[in-house]
Parts: sequence; structure tokens; C-alpha cells
Amino acid sequence: MAVLNLTLSEDAVVALRDALICLNKFSDDVSLEAQKDKLILTALNSSKSAYACFSFSATRFCSRYHFEGSSQNHEKFYCTLYIRALISIFRSRVGGDPQRDREKETLIDRCEVAIEDGPGVQSRFIAKLVFRNGIASTHRLPFEVVVPVHAKFNREEAVNHWTIPSRTLRQLMDHFGPGVELLDVNSDGEHVKFTCFTEKTVNGDEVLKKPLRTSIAIEVDEFEDLKIEDSLHIVINVRDFRAIIQHAGISGTNVMARYSGPARPLQLTYPGDAVSCEFLLMTVGERTANPPHKTKRGKSVNSTKGPRQQQLEAASRRQSAAPSEQLQGAPQPQASGHAQSRLGGAQPPPPQHPMLSAGSNVGRMSAFDLRPSQRPAPPPTMRSEGLFVDDYQWEPVHEDDEETEENARLEWDQSVQTAEPTSRMDRTMSDADETNEANADATQASSVGLEPTQRLSEVERMGLFFRE
Amino acid sequence: MRFKTELKNIRTFSKLTAALNSLEKIAWVRLDDDTARFTVIPDTGSQVWASLSMDFMFENYHIQSAEANNTINLELPLQPLQRALKSALNSTSASLRLTKKEGVPILSMTITTTTDSAAAPGQRSVASAAAAAAAAAATGVHSALDEDPFHDDDDDDAAAFAPEHLETSLRREREKIITQDIPVRVLHPETVETIMQPKVREPDVHIQLPPLLQLKAISDRFTKLALASSAGGATGRVGGGPRLELSANMHGSLRLRIATEAVDIASTWTGLENPQLDPAQLQGPLEEHPSALFREAGPDKWATVRVDGKDWSRVLSVGRLEGRVIACFADDHALILYVYVPQHDDSSAEDSVVTYYVTSYSA
Repeated sequence: MAVLNLTLSEDAVVALRDALICLNKFSDDVSLEAQKDKLILTALNSSKSAYACFSFSATRFCSRYHFEGSSQNHEKFYCTLYIRALISIFRSRVGGDPQRDREKETLIDRCEVAIEDGPGVQSRFIAKLVFRNGIASTHRLPFEVVVPVHAKFNREEAVNHWTIPSRTLRQLMDHFGPGVELLDVNSDGEHVKFTCFTEKTVNGDEVLKKPLRTSIAIEVDEFEDLKIEDSLHIVINVRDFRAIIQHAGISGTNVMARYSGPARPLQLTYPGDAVSCEFLLMTVGERTANPPHKTKRGKSVNSTKGPRQQQLEAASRRQSAAPSEQLQGAPQPQASGHAQSRLGGAQPPPPQHPMLSAGSNVGRMSAFDLRPSQRPAPPPTMRSEGLFVDDYQWEPVHEDDEETEENARLEWDQSVQTAEPTSRMDRTMSDADETNEANADATQASSVGLEPTQRLSEVERMGLFFRE
Repeated sequence: MRFKTELKNIRTFSKLTAALNSLEKIAWVRLDDDTARFTVIPDTGSQVWASLSMDFMFENYHIQSAEANNTINLELPLQPLQRALKSALNSTSASLRLTKKEGVPILSMTITTTTDSAAAPGQRSVASAAAAAAAAAATGVHSALDEDPFHDDDDDDAAAFAPEHLETSLRREREKIITQDIPVRVLHPETVETIMQPKVREPDVHIQLPPLLQLKAISDRFTKLALASSAGGATGRVGGGPRLELSANMHGSLRLRIATEAVDIASTWTGLENPQLDPAQLQGPLEEHPSALFREAGPDKWATVRVDGKDWSRVLSVGRLEGRVIACFADDHALILYVYVPQHDDSSAEDSVVTYYVTSYSA
């Protein structure tokens, strides 16, 4: 039974690929969530400090879209897919010789996607690509039914915001060198400063290996709709920011940032063509006792030595975490409050929580997931600390097994393939060189083709040959 | 210790940095009232001593040091410098200043640049459609900004600003100030006094090299051939690439040769110039100079050195400076390249010289 059927035009395939490439910079897996009127792709990184969400308008993005729903859940369907497999299906087929007409024929005409799931049906994501030359290829991917995790953002709290063309941000990124990890955004009232740096401490001798520290001051005028607190330093991960700007630059729209203060999430949003993109990045730093919008912070960034790996808050929890709660119907505020208190780590629980957890994002929580998880063990990307209960005990075992197996194989390869035969071969060769240089080429040619099993007889024969 | 300057000839400075960076990550920079000297001395491979007049790339500079001759010695990582100069390439102005941040000495480059509207990618899709889509999406993304009625694909720059900003944006370009902080280490004069420029005997042959891009393409081809043939089982050299044989005579010929067990290839350039020596620079009479003897001995008298193919390829990356290159061969002993970098903005000024001491090997 097909839960979802949709058809994508060539442009939509490209847009989908762009989104997937962006998501892949955050995670290996993408959560797909289908509803009657929209298709949502989300990814959360392994440290749970960055969250990406692409919400496609079903009717505008797809040339045909039909959501059936499953027998258990008519409202929505969700599953998790391996991003790289998807990217390779939707990969760019443009290439080869641009001069030739045939190249046009290999372009995608349309792509038909069906998701099959249900009792007695194999759970498969099926993509059928129809090319202009008449060839169609069908790809079937397995998926897991996992409740998507949505990070949440409280817009009321995020009093600081600015909007700027993605093109401008993209030009900024060009000035940042390699090796930088963090991006500090702050304002002195006239300029907004973007500073890229690293917190890595270096020893005396390695001072010169420090990456370039780049700071760019942009006039406030260049922003649209800017309102930020002076000298508030907000610090995020450069790599995440870069991934987002790269994608935003494709559509060239305006990017809007909203945030409150350190250790609270920063939201970046921009509209694409029939898609809206939202990213939440946890900001680095310590939360002061004062309410964030009143803080006047100096350069506190460099003084943060404690655990600075803050995590985003989840609006829903992984299914495996507590199956009992899944069956309670609508998620209770205290349930999510429970999840929040775990994610905190060293960070004191923000005071606004009780109100927030009943907020708008709760609607996205999956309340009706009655299917048992098909995931046997946590995926390797989910190295979480605290936000969710992971089945830790499974992972090390698997890893160890794989490692020892690999090592064993490596050793075996080395001893057999390289050590003995080649050294003997070399010796024969050098002997040969000394005795008869003119025939060096012949030696080389014959020794290259030797099978290890034949080496003794071959070597003897060659020795005779060269002694002649 | 103070050093502050405005930058000029940024493109040349950037190319020089790139050429040095291909040999070694960190350079020793010595600045004084007249000269800026960049030196790289890799553990293995060719050395470079670049002596440039301060006017070559600095303007309105101010240097002040307690050391003798007002000298500042720095250790400077080239890759960050190159990156910083890249930022400065299309700038309206750029300056360099030696300072300290958080206790660490840095060379701080301040670059004033404007929004580059020419680089705008014109791939904005139909804005109204995007806005409608955003509105349709229930995530409530702020979409009002995209409904800018002034939007027009032909004038992307103006459309990117709200209407009330239109006037100002037309009147002047938006300025951005970029600061690039390059970590440096200040060297004590004692640590550098032992580093001496190599002394090499008078060369047997001096010859102007053919266009470096050509020479590099053929050299690289030879190196790859040698690598490929040695990978097939012939005696591979431990460490380093294959050895190229470079020969030149005093009759305008340069020969490049690779010889392995499997291959023996040579390319010869003819009709190259053997520049005249300046008698004033010589210690003895011109007729007794080794090159005079080589000239007399005829075109079959070659001076030959062997260089590492990979190192040679890195050396030849100096070709991007587009200078005249004179190679000086001391037969079976040494190879020195003098790269004369033209000063574009002042043709009367003396060319700056970058000297390469190419690592060579005996047969």
C-alpha cells in the first residue's frame, strides 16, 4: 500500500538534491515527514547542537502529490532515510561532453516517488526516474519508521534579529580561512561584526599554526530590519553556518536570523522556491544569571572553558527512549519538560520552559506512533549525551567486533602480500642489475607479472638466466 | 617595536606569497628601513631568499625597532598571509600593522572593501512564488521581506535593499571593513644571525630560462613518467621524487632530461639568451670567469645539475610572478635561479630579485 505518491519535475529534483546535500552536512540520516499539504525533511546533528528543517509545499513543489496515510495514522507519515543513498539517486546527471546533443537526453524528465508501508507490505521508498531519452530507473530504499525529532525555538524570547541578503553573507564567508571553528556575531551600534576564530589553545611553538582570525564589519545600514542588542556576543559553529549559507546562496534570498543570548538557540530562516528553510543552531557560551535581553556582555567568549557543547531542545523524543510514554496519547507537557531537563548538561534549565513546552511546537510531536521501532540499535551518528536515552550497551560491542575483525584482516594482508615476496624480488633484481644491466628491462617485465605462488621456481630460473 | 604600512602591488605580493608557500609553510621576514626580505628554508628542498625594496609593496610605511639598523625579524606563516591577501585583492585599501592581541603578536591586516555587486549570482527564482510557498508552509517563516515590490531581477542589488535605503545604496557603495589577524612570532636578532645566505662559487653557465609554464609542464610530464615507470617495479628512490637532469651551455641551449632504467627522454631548448655579466660585479677579469671558459669550449660543453622532480616543480611555481628568470649553473655543484620581479607601477624602479637556491644532487 502506498502511503505517499508524488511526482517531481526536473527542477524540483534539483531543489531536493540541494536540500539533501545541505542536510547531509548536519547528519547522515534525514527524517522525512509527509502530511496532506507538505513534505518536511529534517536532520539533527550528532551532538544535537544543530538542526535543519526544509518544509516543502506539497502542491507547489510537486507536480503531483497524493498523501494517503497509513491505516494507523491518517495525519502524517514519517520515516528515516540514509541521505547519501538519496543523494546518489537524485545526483546530477549533467556532465560528459557538453557539445553533444545526447547529453540532453539523459536529463531527468520527471521523478515519481512512492512510499510503501503498512501491514504485510515491505517498507520501501521507491523513486522512479524517467529520463528524457525514455529510460526509467527505479530505486528502492529501505527506511526506518522513527519519530522525527524537531528542535524547537521560542520566537518570543528571541528579541534580537536581522535580515540580510544571502549573497552578502556568502561573500563574507569567502574571506574566512580554513581551520576556524567559531563565528562570533556582535554589534557596536554602527557595525555588525562577524568574527571567525578558534578556541584551540596552542603551545608556544605552535602559535604560528593558529588559523587566521578574520573579522568583518558590516554597516548596520546594509541589513534590513535589524534589531540587536549592542555588544552582545553570539557564537555559533562556523561549519554549520557555512553549510546554511551555501544553500541559501542557491536561491539568493534574504536570510533572517533571530536569537536571544548565549547558550540559547539561534534561528536562521529563508524562503526558497516552494520551500521554507529553517535552521536552529545552539550558540556557545555561558548563560548569565540575568535575563538574556538585559545582559551587557563583554568578550566572554574566550573565558568559557566549561562544557560549551550545548544542545538544542527537542520537541519530541526518540521512540526508543521511553516506549511507555508513546502510548499515553497526546504528549504531556511534563514529558517534554522531562526531556529538556536531561539535555541541559552543565547548563541550568532555562526558566521559561514550562510555558514553552506547551507551545506551538508540541503540535508537531508524534502522538500516535504505535508501530514498534524497526531500528535494532542506535545508528552510529547518535552519540548523544543526555538528550535521549540511548542503548549504549549495544554500541561498543558492535564497534569492537568490527574493529578487531578489520585489524585482523589488515595484518593478514600485510604479512602475505608485501613482506616476504617483494623483498626477495628486490634482491633478485639488484643482483640482476649488477650482473647484467642490459637485461634489466626484461627482469622488470617478468618480475612484475609473477604470481607469489610461483616465486621460488621463477627466481631460480631467473638466477640461472642471469648467470649465463 | 612598531611596524605599520599601507599595502600596494597586492596581486604581486599575493603571488610571491603563493610561490614561497609552495616550498615551505613558514617564512622568515626581515624588515628594515629599505628592504623587506622573505626567506624560506625548508628541511629538504630549495631555499628562497626574496629581497624586495620596501617601496615594492609597502606605502607610507613606518618602522621602528630597538634592534640595529631598525630591523624587525618575524616568523610568518605563509598560508594565512596568502588567505589575507586574497581578501585584499579587490579592496579599496589595505594596511598592515604589527600589534598584539591577547598577548599574542599578530600582523593585523585591515581591508576596506565594498559589496561586489558584479559577483551577484543572478539565479534568484521567481520571488513571488517563493514568498507564496513560504506563506503556504505552516512553519510561519517570515516572508514579508521577500515581497519587496521593488524587486526586479535586472537590478538585483537595488532590490536587495528596502525602499527607503534605495537612495543611499545608489549614492555610495557599501563599505565593509575586514580584519585579518595573522599570528606571527617576533624573532630575537641572535636567533637569526646564524642564518646565512648560501655562498656559491661563480657559475659556469648563466642562461635565461624559457617561459616557466612551458618548462614546468614538460618537467612535470617527465617526473610523472619517471614515477610511473618506477612504480612498475624498477628501483624506486626512497623519499623524494625522481631526479631530473638539467644542463645548459653558454650557447643558448637548455636541456632537460630524465633517465631511468625504463626511459631516457630529453628536451632541448635552443636560442635562449646568455645574458652579459656586469664586469663591475666581478672580482676578476671577465675573460677568466668560468662562463667565459665554457663559452670558449663550444656548444657541447654543458654544465649539469640534478634536481628532485617534485621540488623542481615547486620551485617553478615562481613562474606566476611573471618575472625574467636567469638560471646559474655551477657544473655538478649548484643551481641558482634569479627571478627579476618587475615593479608594475614604476618602470624606472629597479626590479626586485627573488633568489632560489635549488637543491641539487650529485650523479
